[in-house]
Amino acid sequence: MDFLIKDLEWFLDMYILLVLGYAILIMSSYLVLAYLSTKALRSYLKKNSFVDYEVLLTSEFAPKLSLIAPAYNESFTIEENVKSLLSLNYNNYEVIVVNDGSKDNSMEILIKTYDLILAERDFHPQIETKKIRGLYISRNAAFKKLVVIDKENGGKADALNAGLNIANNPYVVCIDVDCILDKDSLLKLAKPFLESSGKRIIATGGVVRIANQCVIKNGRLVEVNIPDVMLSRIQVLEYLRAFLLGRMAWGKLDGLLLISGAFGAFDKEIALLAGGYDTKTVGEDMELVVRMRRYMLENTLPYTVCYIPDPLCWTEAPEDFKIFKKQRSRWMRGTIETLSFHKKMFLNPKYKLLGMLSVPYWTLFEFLAPGIEFIGLLITVFFIIFGLLNWHFFLLLVLFVYTFAVMFSVIALFSEERTYHKYPKQADFFKLLLAAFIEPVYFHPLTVYAALLGYKEKIKGTKGWGEMTRKGFTKKP
Amino acid sequence: MEKIWEFYKNGQWEVPFLIFSICLFVATSLFLYLLIIESRNRNIKKERLRNEYSILIEKLMSSVIFEDVSFAALKEDKNLMVLFDTSFFRENVVETLINLHKNYEGIYALKLEQFYKDSGLIKDSFRKLKSLRWEIKCKGITELAELNVYDAFDTIVAFSKARNKTLKITAINACIKLAGTNGIVHLTEHADPIDDWTQVNIISAFKKHDIGDTKGVELLLESQNTTVVALGLKLIKELKLTQKVPYVAELAARTNNNLIKYEAQNVLQTLTL
Repeated sequence: MDFLIKDLEWFLDMYILLVLGYAILIMSSYLVLAYLSTKALRSYLKKNSFVDYEVLLTSEFAPKLSLIAPAYNESFTIEENVKSLLSLNYNNYEVIVVNDGSKDNSMEILIKTYDLILAERDFHPQIETKKIRGLYISRNAAFKKLVVIDKENGGKADALNAGLNIANNPYVVCIDVDCILDKDSLLKLAKPFLESSGKRIIATGGVVRIANQCVIKNGRLVEVNIPDVMLSRIQVLEYLRAFLLGRMAWGKLDGLLLISGAFGAFDKEIALLAGGYDTKTVGEDMELVVRMRRYMLENTLPYTVCYIPDPLCWTEAPEDFKIFKKQRSRWMRGTIETLSFHKKMFLNPKYKLLGMLSVPYWTLFEFLAPGIEFIGLLITVFFIIFGLLNWHFFLLLVLFVYTFAVMFSVIALFSEERTYHKYPKQADFFKLLLAAFIEPVYFHPLTVYAALLGYKEKIKGTKGWGEMTRKGFTKKP
Repeated sequence: MEKIWEFYKNGQWEVPFLIFSICLFVATSLFLYLLIIESRNRNIKKERLRNEYSILIEKLMSSVIFEDVSFAALKEDKNLMVLFDTSFFRENVVETLINLHKNYEGIYALKLEQFYKDSGLIKDSFRKLKSLRWEIKCKGITELAELNVYDAFDTIVAFSKARNKTLKITAINACIKLAGTNGIVHLTEHADPIDDWTQVNIISAFKKHDIGDTKGVELLLESQNTTVVALGLKLIKELKLTQKVPYVAELAARTNNNLIKYEAQNVLQTLTL
């Protein structure tokens, strides 16, 4: 019996050491990334204040872009969304809308609104996709930039691949058709492609922000507001933390694994050489970036991926838990799939920083973190049942994690205040501050739960996105 | 390692460590919160001052442009001179001067330039060129170029060889504004590659400042630096300089670089069609 108690005590010691070690490791990594991000952001903003993006507007040497916007059952918003894509501040671009076998009347609306006719355009698909029913262009010269692909349903990745096959220009910008783009977003996204100094820029991505309760007029964001619904309000904070304090640092280290599927630009040639979007994963955005990077590294081609910290794209966040759960479990499945497809890269020095840092970081802190938290919770329950828990120590540990989470959110708010200052209203700032206090006890457990569902779905072999219902933005007449 | 394990084993460190960390996190959050509030208040104050100053500066500029009031006469207003001693007010005056200078030409523009010199604001700009921070240098360069201070050309041209790309682009743009084509001929000796973004900026500066005299652009075609040659070709194409066709033809005939040859032939085709 003594032997058993001694063993249990040892196990308890080891457990505390592991929990504390893991917490300190994850917190330190967050702080290091935040420090690097802040430094990089300050340098970027300093440089950016002398940049005149207008020079790209009038130049025939501006990179030629093809915007690919997959659409599935978007009949309520498609007319306005396409109009806003056609009126972006850029000259050298075409808009490819891919109707991915919508069951509603999206295609009829597009044909009628934009006076579309079947085009006799010859193209040689480099990536296999579901059958293309037709390729449409407009008879109206005002919409000469528009190309519409009507195809059988194959999912987002398949639709993007169809767009990649048709795209005429060397750079493709993949977007969600329902996103609101900043009017200068293409200028900002295209600039890095002109700046390559010996390294090929294979992809650029910008910051995505939450547009719930923001006011939209003619497809443009005219007023930024903080949502009243707590779930989406906390997501505003979460996006600030992720984009301002995380991705900027990975961009600076050149170890970025993910360019948001909502808005990112890619070198078409490399995207095609790497095989295009993988239709077998729901994390096609992350998977493509990893595969393109892997292609460049395996072929010893100098390259980089560029990250633009400016808020370029505004999207709608889920407001109810049911949709949120679907979104987050899908994100987890995407992460698992990407990491498992590219497990060869894990701690493999051949893949440099990507193999030695980015992939292990994602594995340890993005993929495994919810699982580790869940196991921790089970062990804590076990300790409580057997009366082994030191409540004083346990509460201190909880407070330690809680105060860190609040502090990290305040760092994000501080960074936002000193940089983009998109939430100037006092009320909005206090709403976000309140969200910082609520986030660790309300939002974080939900994300862990949704991620665990992602594990379960992955084990069960669930495929596809599932239906995602959106409420739509507040529009100004 | 054993010592660390022993230290860990005796369990004396955990609670103090956690309490210290919690206090640190709370204190940091509070400190950052106060910084945010302070930053917001400062911005509000700055905005209020800017609005107050803008009314005053507009009146001031209007009297300089339309009523021929000299700076010597303005000096008699002691309140104004007190404001002139504050850097924020001077920054605002320079900003307004530049904006007005962009909108006015001829005698009005000359009056603004004279005011810039008489008020000593020009000295602020020259002082900025000596700063160790590149962004301050950029500001100084922009001010001097916008207000046509030709004497600054020699200093600015030195910055166009800077390693910092933003400083380099700002300086080249300023050189083009001040000296037209002469502002870029020194690039023929440039050793480092000039990337496409810098090239687009140079071309845009030529268009923006409506540089009519393009004598010397052809010199870029003689550079050993292929990116400078590419820039020359792009300038000739974009500005439709048909008088440079013989130089382009000569380049197409003599160059061994296939890319340059292709670009030169492309320019020839565009300009001779």
